Amino acid sequence: MSKKYKLKRLLVRRYQILAAILFILAAGLVLLPKYKKNEGIAPDQFVKNIISSERYISTDLLADRLVNQDPTVLLIDTRSEQEFNDYALPNAINIPLKDLLNEDFDGYINQDVYDIILYSNENFYADQAWIISSRLGYTNLYVLKGGLNEWFDTIINPKLPDETMPQEAFDLYSFRKAAGMYFGVGMVKSEVKKVTKSKPVKKVVTIKKKKKRVPEGGC
Amino acid sequence: MGPLIPNGIIPEDWNYIIAILIGFAFGYILEASGFSSSRKLAGVFYGYDFAVLKVFFTSAVVAVIGLYYMDYLNWVDISQLFVQPTYLWAAIIGGMIMGVGFLAGGFCPGTSLCAVAIGKIDGIVFTLGLTIGIFIFSESFSALEPLFESSNLGNITLVDSLGISPYWIIFIFTIIALVAFYFSDWVRSKVKKVFY
Repeated sequence: MSKKYKLKRLLVRRYQILAAILFILAAGLVLLPKYKKNEGIAPDQFVKNIISSERYISTDLLADRLVNQDPTVLLIDTRSEQEFNDYALPNAINIPLKDLLNEDFDGYINQDVYDIILYSNENFYADQAWIISSRLGYTNLYVLKGGLNEWFDTIINPKLPDETMPQEAFDLYSFRKAAGMYFGVGMVKSEVKKVTKSKPVKKVVTIKKKKKRVPEGGC
Repeated sequence: MGPLIPNGIIPEDWNYIIAILIGFAFGYILEASGFSSSRKLAGVFYGYDFAVLKVFFTSAVVAVIGLYYMDYLNWVDISQLFVQPTYLWAAIIGGMIMGVGFLAGGFCPGTSLCAVAIGKIDGIVFTLGLTIGIFIFSESFSALEPLFESSNLGNITLVDSLGISPYWIIFIFTIIALVAFYFSDWVRSKVKKVFY
């Protein structure tokens, strides 16, 4: 009996109780300690991406794609402008590491149309650029393994395999030799100079705005 | 993590199915709250029934508090939610037309369909009128288009235009809601009871 009576008394006050709960919850939002939210992807996903070897592309694979004129490749040179003007891969775009987050370049990096291949002299600048941009949730980013040094060692100036090496090594060597010729090795010197001195053509990437869906309805 | 569909946790194909389920639930709640009665809806204008104000204000407050707690816990990314763009003058004029229609007809578009569903004749007449209104609007759209598309302030919220933290806005909004509830009860106690 008394239990019923207590419940009844509680139910009479139900609107006050609900109003108090609403008030406490709203006040809780104001009083909760604020923290700065991380931008971009979750840390565990980020670590998973970093340790995945898929983020590297080998010089042979890149050469193959360039020779076949793969239209989805977008090369980005992360070295300084000076170095870029001295030598760059064909059709590369120069985005120095310190300008990576510059708004002008955002349309090149934050997109999902091209496979972006970052390179520098070694892995280091390209890796840093990769880490910064993939932390922000950008996709389709790759790093040229070994960078330009590896490019020179394998494509431009490949090593002749020993005679005891398997057939695959010789196949690879001849592929590299042929690819090197495609990129201008063995041409007349003055001509080579001409090729390297000409400014690489900039690829135009249309900056796609993310579509927002318009919900409909009302009361 | 959320919103669930844009982040691919629920496939995009489920969009319409979930929308239909939410629609069922919404219609059920409208009917269960008695909103398919035009007398109940019009009561808020005459001061004898404030259920409309209480239900919609409560749902707004509960939703916004819940969303911001979920945002705090990283369950939903508030910045990913769509904000309806504000067309200032179109909203003011449209709101006034809607208010007159609401008061004269005793339904808002959603509740009129609820009334049709339970076979109310006034609801059916209202829905016919609504359809004629939609037809006239669509046919004269080219004339109305300048008004329709002018004074677009973009996807703004009070947080952007006032520059106050959203948590304070929610807190103030909650207090306004509670005061409005108390005040509406006070008005109702002063107004002559209407049997409906």
